[in-house]
Amino acid sequence: MLKEEIIRQLEEIVGKGSILTKKEDLATYAYDGTTTWAHPPDVVVMPTTAAQVSQILKLANENLIPVTPRGSGTNISGGSVPVRGGIVVCTTRMNRVLEINKANLTATVEPGVVLQDFNNLLAKENLFYPPDPQSFLSCTVGGTVAENSGGPLCIKYGVTKQYVLGLEVVLPDGYVLNIGGSTVKNRTGYDLVPLFTGSEGTLGIITKVTLRLIPKPAARRTIMAIFDDITLASSVVSTILANGIVPAKIEFVDNFVIRRIEEKMKIGLPVDAKTMLLIDADGSVAAVESEAAHILEFLQSGGAEVARLAKDEDEANMYWKARSAGFAAVYGAARTVIAEDVTVPRDKLAEFVKKLEGISRKFGFQIVLIGHAGDGNIHPSVFTNSREKEELDRLQDTLTAIFEAALELGGTLSGEHGIGLEKKRLLSRALDPMAITLMQRIKALFDPNNIMNPDKIWES
Amino acid sequence: MSKALLTEIRKYESDTEQCMKCGFCSFVCPVYQEEKIEAGVARGKNELVKAVLAGELELTRDLADRLYKCTACMACTETCPAKAVVPRLVVAARADLVSQIGLRFPYGLVYRHILSNRKMMGRLVSAASLFQSLIMPATNGRVRHMPDFLSGLTKGRQIPSLAKKPLRRLTPEIIRPSSGTPVTRIGYFSGCVNEFVSPHIGLKTIDFLVRNRVEVVMPRAQGCCGAAVFLGGGDFVTGRLVADSNVAAFNDVDYVVTDCATCACALEEYPRFLADTPERKEAYVRFAGKVRHTTQFLIDVLDLPASAFRTSPLVEGKRLTWHDPCHLNRHLGAKQQPRQILNSLENTRFIEMPNSDRCCGMGGQFSLLNPELSIKIGDKKVESIASTEADIVVTACPGCQFQLIDGLGRAEKPQTVMNLMELLG
Ligand SMILES: Cc1cc2nc3c(=O)[nH]c(=O)nc-3n(C[C@H](O)[C@H](O)[C@H](O)COP(=O)(O)OP(=O)(O)OC[C@H]3O[C@@H](n4cnc5c(N)ncnc54)[C@H](O)[C@@H]3O)c2cc1C
Ligand code: SF4
Ligand code: SF4
Repeated sequence: MLKEEIIRQLEEIVGKGSILTKKEDLATYAYDGTTTWAHPPDVVVMPTTAAQVSQILKLANENLIPVTPRGSGTNISGGSVPVRGGIVVCTTRMNRVLEINKANLTATVEPGVVLQDFNNLLAKENLFYPPDPQSFLSCTVGGTVAENSGGPLCIKYGVTKQYVLGLEVVLPDGYVLNIGGSTVKNRTGYDLVPLFTGSEGTLGIITKVTLRLIPKPAARRTIMAIFDDITLASSVVSTILANGIVPAKIEFVDNFVIRRIEEKMKIGLPVDAKTMLLIDADGSVAAVESEAAHILEFLQSGGAEVARLAKDEDEANMYWKARSAGFAAVYGAARTVIAEDVTVPRDKLAEFVKKLEGISRKFGFQIVLIGHAGDGNIHPSVFTNSREKEELDRLQDTLTAIFEAALELGGTLSGEHGIGLEKKRLLSRALDPMAITLMQRIKALFDPNNIMNPDKIWES
Repeated sequence: MSKALLTEIRKYESDTEQCMKCGFCSFVCPVYQEEKIEAGVARGKNELVKAVLAGELELTRDLADRLYKCTACMACTETCPAKAVVPRLVVAARADLVSQIGLRFPYGLVYRHILSNRKMMGRLVSAASLFQSLIMPATNGRVRHMPDFLSGLTKGRQIPSLAKKPLRRLTPEIIRPSSGTPVTRIGYFSGCVNEFVSPHIGLKTIDFLVRNRVEVVMPRAQGCCGAAVFLGGGDFVTGRLVADSNVAAFNDVDYVVTDCATCACALEEYPRFLADTPERKEAYVRFAGKVRHTTQFLIDVLDLPASAFRTSPLVEGKRLTWHDPCHLNRHLGAKQQPRQILNSLENTRFIEMPNSDRCCGMGGQFSLLNPELSIKIGDKKVESIASTEADIVVTACPGCQFQLIDGLGRAEKPQTVMNLMELLG
């Protein structure tokens, strides 16, 4: 528990209406998107300016109080869970879009702007910000920077870090640091910006972000294909890319999801098929037409059971809606669904899927796949309905087996969800020990008192 | 409160597990959009109920305050990929709260004694009406402060004035079409507002139905729908009394038709929340199956052609926009029926407003307990309405109508508010 005096000072900084201290409120800042981690903070503050954030951090630093930054709490790694209590600094009220610069193709926003609100504003200006974590209806820009999020579009457009040009960050001692700028080229000393993209709130609090934008692509075509064999599907994906065609998205679902889609939407999918691919091509009208035609050819000659080019926007939307419905069905299918985030090199995808089938058999859990075939990030989702200790232990072993399988194939522990608490026990197996040491030194340099989001990323 | 007593929320225990904490509901929740506080949004409320069920939190008043901050707009459920129905949990929690720690004053008094007793409500309202005419100048029925027994609850907000005579004194109990055999026999459920504030709308509907060969019964034994009592107030005991008497009153009709979206919704919810015995379950389910909002009845049951909807001279040449009442749009699923009627009206122009389905912030109880928040949510609606430059905003729920009149009035916008039935000639 924090001293009354600290609470009083915090209240002075942010104002009475922007501080939460009742246990009924604190309980709602205990969790994130995971099912496993929860711990309430002692206090939640909702600042509206960088100056307030600076005062909060100064106070926390002087009194050695842990601080956990939080956007919308949608991360699925335990990142925003205040495991040691202390102060949650919630950015949801710092939600102004400060500038959209059409000539420079940049935008400057506060960290609490919700991604979809931002996208809606950009759409009006015919602009486009590609990073598209599928939590776009809820996640904040600050959260996506701190997690270096990416979504289906990343195969063509990259992830968040490729779009962050400049940052304002409040350091643990209260210093308001400005780094980067608003130019695409910027070669002035060490580039400190990427230190913060993916920092998971452990180095400071991001209070302003300048992002690179691109003009909205003029056209889009969607292609749906069904395969009976994941190996075939995966090799077609490689063929498409090897031929110099980079689709905007290549999404992948397995038989479980195909069945759920067909049950709900009745669009004539073969319910025994193993794999469905959903591919988007975007760009200028002419380029998209020719890319789509080529993709269709590759799919057909590559052994697709079904390959359909959506004839119009409605059909395209129907496929994408079906995919979201499939995603929802996965979550509705069991009491606990752990959506893993391992990523393997693209050419190892089929092999990885075979290994997952073996793991599912061995440990007795259903594992469903719904992910991004374009980048090898396929989110194996493990289902359980039980709360029994034995089953939960077996679940942990299953997850470990999944990580090990991915690492064996040269993959990574996390494609997009980050390490947080969820995966820190495995970090040392995925990284060079010196890399972890360097990270810890960097952390100590920025945050000598270890107040910023302590206990995250590595085991201490 | 001991865990064993959480009878109502315990029924939803497995539903609370549906939520996967994606937070998508925050994008559409009117409460969260204003305050940006986690306890306001469905995800937060769901977690609070889970914590109560797990014995980690008690169902205290502080917790209740957070659960009551919900307009029951169902926007969260519509957006939720896991189809978690948090607003139902909220109702259940209110019920447990009421049976454990009682109702707050003065709401307890109002729910238990006034709203559940139509005669008493009638007397009070007429008294208030008289009182009002004594001290308030007439304002063409637009807006004025309502100096009645509710004034303590409405915190000075503008609401429409009361009618001189309630609907039941203006219409016989049974009205038959002048010629031919009726196509069906319906019971008209007036609802408190058409009964006491705008009986002219009730008269209009009854007349329209009768002209379309429907036999209309207006049972004198009907009472309040109970929305404020059991949905908003969580008083299931009184709710059952209300439900039983309404079910009995509408025993011998094919349909129960009402102009009030909230009433329609409350009547439909009797089986879910109030059926505590097999007999009640059976009776409530049968009753709920007969309930239709007027727009649903005209389009889905009577299947009236566009030509059946004539434009009232009052609205000839006017630009109209439509506000979707949450109870009609999301609870009852009637999105297209009112639009079909609006598009049938010749010599008017229908303009969709942006976010027509966004909650107006009324939410019954919600606006009484959270007046400032309700006003802020309403102001967003007012902006949407104003952006259409329509002359009239049309809706089909008296609660929304109050809220819109109040909001437009305060913002000094030129739009007037009308019930859909008022547009018909
Ligand atoms: C349904 C669903 C789908 C998802 N899909 C994807 C996906 O496709 N791709 C993907 O990459 N992720 C995905 N995620 C994960 C998650 O949405 C992202 O990590 C997102 O960026 C988190 O944003 P947030 O605002 O919720 O941040 P939070 O969860 O609140 O915080 C995330 C981390 O960032 C830190 N943080 C937050 N704000 C700041 C700040 N201003 N300064 C410093 N640190 C800060 C926190 O301390 C925490 O460590 C998904 C999650 C869900 C629930
Ligand atoms: S949208 Fe549904 S699943 Fe997602 S957080 Fe809200 S209630 Fe939970
Ligand atoms: S019903 Fe409406 S107000 Fe209540 S939690 Fe859901 S979205 Fe929010």
